[in-house]
Amino acid sequence: MTQVELAELSRFLFEPVAIGLLAAAMVAYLYAMSATRIPRPDGTVAAAGRRSEQAGFALATLGALTLGAHIVVRALAAGRMPLGNMFEFSTIIALTTVLVGLVVVVGRLDRADLMGFLLLGSVLTMAAALLVYTEPGPLQQVLGTAWRAIHVSAIVFAAGLFTVAFVFGALYLVRDTAETRLRGPGPVSGGSLGAAHAADLSGGEELDTVDGRLWPDAVVAGDLDGVEAEVVAEYRSRMRATIDPWRLAIGTFVGTAAVSWVFWVQGVRAGEAAFGSGFTRFLGINVVMALAAVLAWWAVPFLPAAATLDAMAYRTIAFAFPVWSFAVIAGAIWAEQSWGRYWGWDPKETSAFLTWVAYAGYLHARATRGMKGRNAGWLAIVAFGVLMFTYYGVNLVVSGLHSYAGTV
Amino acid sequence: MSRIDTSAPPEANPPVRRGPRRPQGPWDFVLDSVRMAWRWLTRMKTALIILAILGLETLLATVVPQQPNVATTVADWRSGAAGPGQVVSQVIDLFGGYDVYGSPLFLALLLLLFTSLTACLVPRTRAFWRAARRGRPPLSRNLDRQQHVATFTSALDVNTAHDRARTALRRQRYRMRPPDADDLDDGQVAAEKGIISREGGSLLFHLSFYVLLVGIVLGQLLGFNGQVGVVEGQGFTDTPQAYWTNNPGRWWGADDHSGFQLSLDQFNIDWVREVRFAGTPSLFEADVTVTGRDGSVRSETISPNVPMVVDGEKIHLLDWGYAPRVVIRDGGEVVFDGANTARLNDLGFYRTAIKAPGADPDIGLALGLYPWAPPGDDGQPLWTGAPWDDAPVLVVAAYRGDLRLDQVQDVTRLDTAGLEVVDTAYIRLGNEVELLDGITVEFPELQKWVGLQVSDRPTVPLLLLGAGLLLAGLVPALYAYRRRVWVRAVTDEHGATIVTVAGRAFQRSEAFLAGWGGLVESLRVALDGDDPVGDGGDPTAPGATPNDLFDPVPEPDGDDHDRDTTKVTT
Repeated sequence: MTQVELAELSRFLFEPVAIGLLAAAMVAYLYAMSATRIPRPDGTVAAAGRRSEQAGFALATLGALTLGAHIVVRALAAGRMPLGNMFEFSTIIALTTVLVGLVVVVGRLDRADLMGFLLLGSVLTMAAALLVYTEPGPLQQVLGTAWRAIHVSAIVFAAGLFTVAFVFGALYLVRDTAETRLRGPGPVSGGSLGAAHAADLSGGEELDTVDGRLWPDAVVAGDLDGVEAEVVAEYRSRMRATIDPWRLAIGTFVGTAAVSWVFWVQGVRAGEAAFGSGFTRFLGINVVMALAAVLAWWAVPFLPAAATLDAMAYRTIAFAFPVWSFAVIAGAIWAEQSWGRYWGWDPKETSAFLTWVAYAGYLHARATRGMKGRNAGWLAIVAFGVLMFTYYGVNLVVSGLHSYAGTV
Repeated sequence: MSRIDTSAPPEANPPVRRGPRRPQGPWDFVLDSVRMAWRWLTRMKTALIILAILGLETLLATVVPQQPNVATTVADWRSGAAGPGQVVSQVIDLFGGYDVYGSPLFLALLLLLFTSLTACLVPRTRAFWRAARRGRPPLSRNLDRQQHVATFTSALDVNTAHDRARTALRRQRYRMRPPDADDLDDGQVAAEKGIISREGGSLLFHLSFYVLLVGIVLGQLLGFNGQVGVVEGQGFTDTPQAYWTNNPGRWWGADDHSGFQLSLDQFNIDWVREVRFAGTPSLFEADVTVTGRDGSVRSETISPNVPMVVDGEKIHLLDWGYAPRVVIRDGGEVVFDGANTARLNDLGFYRTAIKAPGADPDIGLALGLYPWAPPGDDGQPLWTGAPWDDAPVLVVAAYRGDLRLDQVQDVTRLDTAGLEVVDTAYIRLGNEVELLDGITVEFPELQKWVGLQVSDRPTVPLLLLGAGLLLAGLVPALYAYRRRVWVRAVTDEHGATIVTVAGRAFQRSEAFLAGWGGLVESLRVALDGDDPVGDGGDPTAPGATPNDLFDPVPEPDGDDHDRDTTKVTT
């Protein structure tokens, strides 16, 4: 096959095949989540959901394999490792999300109910990748070093993990809002004197801020078998009623706009009309994210307990943070080798550092009384916004040594 | 201060005022304010706020061009030629937004953050030191009330059981309380793990910032970097005067220069010519010959990612351009012969200027080089933007007048204020043109030049060490979990030995819970003795099987909110 044919094949494998398979898997998993009724404390699920869940697993596995095949074909078409431009980065981020979902979330943690939203995250990442699609081609010579492979693969892997953490974190905030409003506020947390780990040394008893937040589902689900369908429906609608979907959608729209404006600016910079396709992209991204938020609102009774989601978000970030740190260090080593300075406050370096600071802030907030819980949860959302700005914003609208957009 | 009579009934004494003591005088007021400010500064929440402001500053620096990085863009923003306009620009300037990392605000925040960090780390390091040296796992007065409890019987006697338990736990890398520190006098085994690595890792992570800070500051003071452009066939000597831009650190002296001599033998550059990816550089390397301080001569190839090291100074290949050699004759007399460095501009050609003050009046040429402008059907050049020099054409605009060389000027631009345009023309390589006013311009040769950076960064190893410490500290700080285990064996009224195992997890309790059965089983096997008892426990014991768990004490939540998960899964 010629390189052009290979490029076409890789594009076909990406879209529609992989993206379609993963979207179908997402629908199957979301249906499975809703069909499992309210999960019982012993973890059993209804049969209807089981079937759909298995279909989702098969589709997602197939989708991941197709995406892997796409990467291999693209590597052949370009004649190099596919880690050279934003489209390729986004592909790896999406693949990381799916694989973490299949291997860790479903395989090890047995949390298939979260897989639908993880797949939503990866499908949206892939759709966004198409916005920055680049034909496979050769790389600049400056990118041809081992440190590039190390730096880029680590940073993209960390970004994939942060995406997973964002899904958990966002769901945590939605679920936590519903739980808190349904039950009334929990115990108020205390001040925040001293260090994160001071309690470790003094052996002081740090009282749990989420202590006493009993999972309402556990109470309801204990004798769910005898409960009428109307009661379950009533419970679900009451849980949903705690959140105004319009407010959630508008909030998400505005929040997303804080980052997605870069697509608009990029369009205008490229010489489009003020309300041309750049504006359409901007609007489209915001609307899609708002719809995703409404989906989360609809799913709120089916989600795991807020504390579980919080713990999962924390553990994902705790894993991704050292990877990100290492990637930034590897980048500095490469910069010293390639540009003759380890750190030059290039916009990308600056924003990678900012992302690091934001997630470091989250980890500290998570260990600080008075900040953990919802405050830390919001910090995780902000940190992901910073990451997205680092990725899309700096690449697309801020010129610097890292500008890859559009060019190879 | 009012007096309290301790023998009187409580109501006879004045009420005890609680709350903060009121300042007694101006000195007290100052002291109290300082104390309060210190307390505020050393709070974690304050550190987070400072970190957030620092983050906002950094965000500003991402969006707004920075003077040290892109001075020309900053000038455009200031003049209103680019960016959001002059008014916004003035506001940005007010906050030092064009040089965030050199601004007093940024440095003040950094100072505050490091002060806060130091204030937080000093007591922690002291406590850690104490814990590491003399700290020992505490005894448990009531094992039954710990998070996880299991009981089984053993055929061993009480002392042997304790010894075996100690050996078994030590093998699982638990830190043991010394047997002689048996304050409760029941011989119980107290073990702990995770505390040293978790807190130690966290401290190491934070201490690495000091190493990085010292490395960066010392690097600024002791280091040097300079940029210089060299045309093919020419060279330069490593002296402060030779560099176009020269940034020595405060403690870098002229003697610290190695004084090597470098000459550029050849610069090779090529691009992908296939239409789809045309213009992507495929070859980019400079062959240089360097005579070091000791007189040794080396010929090497410098390419991106492969700098050359001479006498501890690194030479990087960072920039390049064409250098058209131009000969100017004024009335038949040569007034200029040389190759000036031309740089690619936004319009797709390489721009430079030639200043010939030897002519009378002065001659100035504004040059634009199109490396690939093949003749079209009408014989006129096609002005492509392609970078390869297959058909170079030089566009010349000749000026006469006063070059005003007494003023500071950009070497690649002509200051046309005192000049008048004479004529314009284009020249193909190897040709010459006669312009009006007796000026002849010849274009005999097209050379290339490279931009080299010479740098000496003596603290890079220190920075690598700091980065290594950061990572080495980060992993245990996040992944070492603190656990305590107690084992106590007693003899019951029938003479049997009953062993109680209690455990407590400070983080990731569900992981501890998952491994709890295995831990208890391993202890049961270790304490099995020579005479196996089977798997039956004593029905009178609080927990008859190893997996019988209960959770009467609220779990202290170190890092994870996993309580609810645990509850759901049990």
